[in-house]
Amino acid sequence: MEIQADEKEGSLILLKQGAEARIFESDFVGRRSIVKERFSKKYRHPTLDSKLTLKRLNAEARCMTKARRLGVATPVLYSVDPVLHTLTFEYVEGPSVKDVLLEFGSHGVVEERLDDIASQIGDAIGKLHDGGLIHGDLTTSNMLLKSGTNQLVLIDFGLSFTSTLPEDKAVDLYVLERALLSMHSSCGNVMDRILAAYRKSSKQWSSTFNKLAQVRQRGRKRTMVG
Amino acid sequence: MKVFEIDGNTLSLSLFTEVTNSKELLDSMQAGTLEPEVAFLNASLIPDVFPVLASAHKTLLAKSRESLTTRTLHSELVYNYSGSKHITESLKRCGISDSTTYILAARFNSSIDEMKAAEKLIDGKEIELEELEGRANQAQIQKHYKISGPELGISTVANAITCRIAARDAL
Repeated sequence: MEIQADEKEGSLILLKQGAEARIFESDFVGRRSIVKERFSKKYRHPTLDSKLTLKRLNAEARCMTKARRLGVATPVLYSVDPVLHTLTFEYVEGPSVKDVLLEFGSHGVVEERLDDIASQIGDAIGKLHDGGLIHGDLTTSNMLLKSGTNQLVLIDFGLSFTSTLPEDKAVDLYVLERALLSMHSSCGNVMDRILAAYRKSSKQWSSTFNKLAQVRQRGRKRTMVG
Repeated sequence: MKVFEIDGNTLSLSLFTEVTNSKELLDSMQAGTLEPEVAFLNASLIPDVFPVLASAHKTLLAKSRESLTTRTLHSELVYNYSGSKHITESLKRCGISDSTTYILAARFNSSIDEMKAAEKLIDGKEIELEELEGRANQAQIQKHYKISGPELGISTVANAITCRIAARDAL
């Protein structure tokens, strides 16, 4: 009899802390994993706080697995703990798109690689949107490139929701456009390449693009005048 | 037999093919006279041990909080593996039936002797866990877990099952 001994899950290493959650590295029955803990907000009423936290925790788990069903790679979900408010998922090995593009910015663009990345991004968002899923926080730091295969993996579905409205899809794309413009303008027009891939991947591209043109004029927030 | 450690507990797994006494096993399990207590899983639905370990992790967590959904620790393992909330249906599909010949036996925190005793209950041929992948019934798995074509483009079957086990109560 062999015993496959693994480190206990107790060993949590803090990687990042945000406004809504803490990210730890850990081990889940023998596999390297990430633990995302939504902590309570002391300024909220305790009942409201635990309701909101749980609702968002479950929504994130749902959206992550829905994205996979639509054929968009996200980390494998290992466990959801409604008591500790944690999600445990696969540790994806590889750099973020942000790091790769910043590298391009400082050391010159590898056109072929950039084309591949942009087309994967457009294709993935097209699939999400056609399936009625809005990511809600499309930035280059929420996209990873898996080492070895260079497969695009979308992360952080904490602001995701389901919607089929062109408005929501357009705002999703607009957020990414602004992020690219402010972070990675030295890479040339990446957004055009992403949109070209999106057009190929999404059947409903036309209404989304029309809306996007309107959103660009007015910004992310809708004007509520008149 | 192979033993896996899960948060300070252990799960022993043994895989059997050509099992001839599944009706007997099922009867004594339902009567609660199975000694030692052990879980029998329909191995055709198991392409890898990892989803079983994820299910075991979930089971132990529920146990530690005294919040098991089913009657015993070992039935909970089978129920959790199904990724569904329907208990009867889960135990039927992911557990064994009268005619099952391919079985994965699992026991929590078992001594070597206890697991040996459990293995003796089964009339079949013990094989290595590495055979799980090749012997899994792909079509049956895809139907039970509702795994679509696009998902398989980016994921293995085992990972798709793991996600469903983990996300069940969030749905």
